[in-house]
Amino acid sequence: MDKILTVFKWELHKLFSSWKKAVALFLLPAILLMASLNVFPLLINYMSTGSFNQKPVLIVDAPKSFYDYVENTVDARVYEYKYISAREFESMVNAREQFVRDLRKGLIICIFTTDSSRPGFDDEIRNYYTEISSGNAEAISTAAIHISYDVNSVTAESRAQQFHEGVLKGYQSGLIDELGGDYSIVGSSLFDVDTFNPVTDFEEYRTVANAAAARVVPGVLMIMMYYCVYSLVSDMFASERDRGFMAKLLITPVSRKKIYAGKILAIVSIVSASAYITMLLLFFSSWINRSNNAMSLLPFGMMLTPSELLTVLIAIPITALLMTAICISITFDLKRMQEITINLQLPLIYFLADFFLQMFRGTRPITLEYFIPMHNTLQLISETFMAQNKVWHVLLVYALNFAVAVCVLRYTFKKEESI
Amino acid sequence: MITLTDVHKSYTKDHETIKGVSFEVKEGQIFGLLGPNGAGKTTLMQMISTLMKPTSGTIEIDGLTSDKDLLEIHRKIGFLTNEIKLDPLSTPNNLFNFFAALYDIPKDELEERKQESFARFGIEPFANKKIVELSTGMKQKISIAISLIHDPPVIIFDEPTNGLDILTSKQVTDYLLELKEKGHAIILSTHIFSVAEELCDEIAMLVDGKIVAQGTVDELKRIAKADTFEKAFFNIYVEHHVE
Repeated sequence: MDKILTVFKWELHKLFSSWKKAVALFLLPAILLMASLNVFPLLINYMSTGSFNQKPVLIVDAPKSFYDYVENTVDARVYEYKYISAREFESMVNAREQFVRDLRKGLIICIFTTDSSRPGFDDEIRNYYTEISSGNAEAISTAAIHISYDVNSVTAESRAQQFHEGVLKGYQSGLIDELGGDYSIVGSSLFDVDTFNPVTDFEEYRTVANAAAARVVPGVLMIMMYYCVYSLVSDMFASERDRGFMAKLLITPVSRKKIYAGKILAIVSIVSASAYITMLLLFFSSWINRSNNAMSLLPFGMMLTPSELLTVLIAIPITALLMTAICISITFDLKRMQEITINLQLPLIYFLADFFLQMFRGTRPITLEYFIPMHNTLQLISETFMAQNKVWHVLLVYALNFAVAVCVLRYTFKKEESI
Repeated sequence: MITLTDVHKSYTKDHETIKGVSFEVKEGQIFGLLGPNGAGKTTLMQMISTLMKPTSGTIEIDGLTSDKDLLEIHRKIGFLTNEIKLDPLSTPNNLFNFFAALYDIPKDELEERKQESFARFGIEPFANKKIVELSTGMKQKISIAISLIHDPPVIIFDEPTNGLDILTSKQVTDYLLELKEKGHAIILSTHIFSVAEELCDEIAMLVDGKIVAQGTVDELKRIAKADTFEKAFFNIYVEHHVE
C-alpha cells in the first residue's frame, strides 16, 4: 500500500508542480462552464433580438390579484415586470417607431381587459363567480388577457409561450382560489397555499430549480469528468509510455499492479475533486441567481438533501474509475500518440449526445437504462435531483459500474502483461 | 550473471523478431550488442530488462527468472535507454527522491547517495531546476543517476551515448569502465563502432534477429578477415543479411 501511495503522491506532486496544469484540470472547466451557462442564454437572446438585455414583460392595467399572484409565486417571479396603465400604453403605441423597435427586441405585452361598461378585471371575475353560484349557468365574463409579441422573434415567441404556460395558467387557477373560492360548491378554497411558511416557499424554489438541474447538471458533470480523465490518462499512461518513463517505473521493484493502482488512484481522486468543485460552482451559480433570469439554465434554489448529495458524491468516483478503465484500455490497445489522442476523444461525442438528449428529454428513464454503464450514472444523478431515486437503482449503478471497471482493468493489464 | 538460452520473440505469427539468441555475460564484463537498425537490439534489451516476455527460451539474471522472481530481478538491474525522457516539469532532486522511495532506499542513505551521484555527474547546480530547462546531455546524466540509484549488479544500456556531445559521451563511457572495474555485469547495445571497440570485452553481432558472430574485437576481425572493426562488421553483415 505504501508504494501505491508513493506513486499516488508523485502524480499529485507532478500535477501541482505546474499551476497551469492544476488550473486547467480543477478550475478552468468549472469557470468555463459557469461562463457558458450565463453567456449561452445571452447569446441566444442577442441573436434573436439584437440586444443582450432581456426586456421586462409589460403588464397593462394589471389587477390587484395579479400583483398578489406574482408576489406569492416563485414561478411568476422568474420574470421582470413593468406595470403601466392603459393610458400610458396608448401613448406608447402612438409613438410607433419606438414601440416597434421594442417589439423587435423581444418585448412581451400582457394586457388585462374587460368590457368598458363593466367594472375592473377582478370585479368582473368575482361577479362571474357570483352569477355562477347563484344558479345562472349562462353567466359570461368579459375579462380577457391578451399577450402580444413580435412573431418573427424566436426568443420573444418562446418567452411568451413560457410566460403563458408558467405564469398565466397558474394565475388562472389562482383566480378560482382567490376570487371564486367563497362561491365553490364545497364552500372552501380549492387550493391551500401557505405563503407565510418559509419551508413551503423553499420547497417551491427547490422543485423548480432541481427540475432544471436534473436536465443540465448530470450531463455537464459527465462531460467534465471525461475531459479530466482523458487528459490525465493521456499524461500519466500514454505520454509516459511514449517518453519511455513508464518503462523506467516498470523495472523498479514495485509490481505493475501497484504502479498502475497508484496512478489510477491519482486520476480518480483528481477527477472526483474537480467534479466536486464543478458541482459546488453549479450550486453557487444557482444560489446567486436570485433574480431568476428566465433564460437561465439554473434557476434559484437548487438543493439536495444529505442522502441525495451522498448518492451523487459516491457515484462520481465510481464513474471516474470506469472512465479511467476505458481510457487505459484504449491507450494500451494503441501505440501511436496521435491514434490514442483521437480515440480517447471519441467517447466525448457519446457524452455530448447523452447530455443533449437529457436536456430535451420529456420522459423518465426506463429500468433498462440503469444497466448501461456510464449512461446509468447520468440517469442516477438526474433522478437524484428529481428526488425519484430508488435504493436498488443506486446500488445497481454503483455495483455495475464498479464491476465493469474492474473487469476492463483486469483484462487490459492481463493482456499487457503477456506482451 | 546474465544468461540467455535460445530466446525467441515474435510479435506476429508469421514473423520472428528474435530467432534463438543465446549468450552469457559475467561479472566485471561489458558485453556489446552490435547491429544495424531493426536487427532486434532494443527488443532483446527490453526482454532482458523484463519489459517484454520472450515467446520461448529463458533469460536468467543471477540465477533468477522473471516468471518467479520478477521484483527481485528489478532490484538487480539498472536499465537505461536514450529514449527515456524524464517528466519535463520535475526536478532532478524530486526524481531522485521518488525513485529512492520506489527502491526502498533508507532516508539516512538517500542524501549520501544523492550527493555522491550528483557530484559525479555535475548535477548539483541544476538539482532544483525543471528538467525542461536542462540540456540533452544533462538529462541523460540525470537518467543514468536515477537508473543506478540502487547500485545494481547488472546494468543494461541501450544506446547510452546516442545524441550526446563528445564530452558527455566520454563521461558516460568512463563511468561504464569504472562500473566494470567494480564488478558490474554490463550489456550495452550500440551501433557506434568506436564505443563498442573501446568498451566491450565481448561483442555479439545481431543481424535480422540472430547472433551471426560473437567474440572479442580481435576475434571478430579475424573471423571477417578484416583489418578494422568497422570493415569486419560490414563483411559479416553482408554475408548474413537476407534481403
